[in-house]
Amino acid sequence: MIPCTDFIPAYSELFKFLEARGGPEAVLDFWNYLSDNFLGNLRSLVEQNGIRGCWLYWSHTLNEEAADFTMELDEDAGEFRIIMHNCPSKGLLLRCKHIEPYHDYCSHCDVLYRRVLEPLGFECIADLSECDRARCSFVVRARHTAPGEAR
Amino acid sequence: MAKQVMRRLASDNEYFHPDFHGALSAGIEYLALRYGDEAVREYLRRFAAAYYAPLKQAVQQRGLVALKEYYERVYEREGAKIATELSRDELLVRIEACPAVMHMRKRGYRVARLFHETTRTVNDVLCEDTPFAAELVEYDPETGRAVVRFRRRMP
Repeated sequence: MIPCTDFIPAYSELFKFLEARGGPEAVLDFWNYLSDNFLGNLRSLVEQNGIRGCWLYWSHTLNEEAADFTMELDEDAGEFRIIMHNCPSKGLLLRCKHIEPYHDYCSHCDVLYRRVLEPLGFECIADLSECDRARCSFVVRARHTAPGEAR
Repeated sequence: MAKQVMRRLASDNEYFHPDFHGALSAGIEYLALRYGDEAVREYLRRFAAAYYAPLKQAVQQRGLVALKEYYERVYEREGAKIATELSRDELLVRIEACPAVMHMRKRGYRVARLFHETTRTVNDVLCEDTPFAAELVEYDPETGRAVVRFRRRMP
């Protein structure tokens, strides 16, 4: 067994392995597979609870991952937001001096979650511009809300 | 409806997310489906050689006791019972049930057909360039109950 606390390096090394086999397309193909086959709980929560399903899903995962984050839910505005002040996954990879993180590690979040949420009527906006410092943000917005209306 | 805000610091929680076992299992299943069984072993070999390099070095320097301590620490953290028997030339580890497999069964995640390679292949890598060899003596795919033996290679 690989302990769950060692999963993130295993994940990053899997991306590197796949890219060596088939280029970035092979990594993307895996992310799509994982989204379709592993995120059924997010899909179910959003189908049952609307945008509140995002709050329910990430309340569980981000606390178990001991993330440093702010999470906001505004159901009237149809918006959910995660501001990741220090991502535990990327942070772990940056602290680990004897392995090199996969160069596009942080993009998996955007691909995985977008693939679940867009077909359910939401748009997703990921800001990965500071992901080399383990910071990012992810906004989920009901598609009927005009961009200017949401905070 | 009022806006809800949740603010958490890393220090507010313990880093322990067992659903990651399900994600790794999905990765192993994907590799086997797309690239074949040997790709699973090759990936695990590369991962273990890279990430567990410090543990492997500890095995080279301190012998089987390093593996005993590693197993005890990891399985205790995952809330599982194991028994170890250590002698000069052998370490026997009896795992009552694999916490990863049990968590996946409980949560309804698919357990990859080759999930046992996360034990067997990784142990093989940990023993490379050491005087020891690893063997997965018993393994029950339903529960992950296992017996692992590390023994000194015959000269």
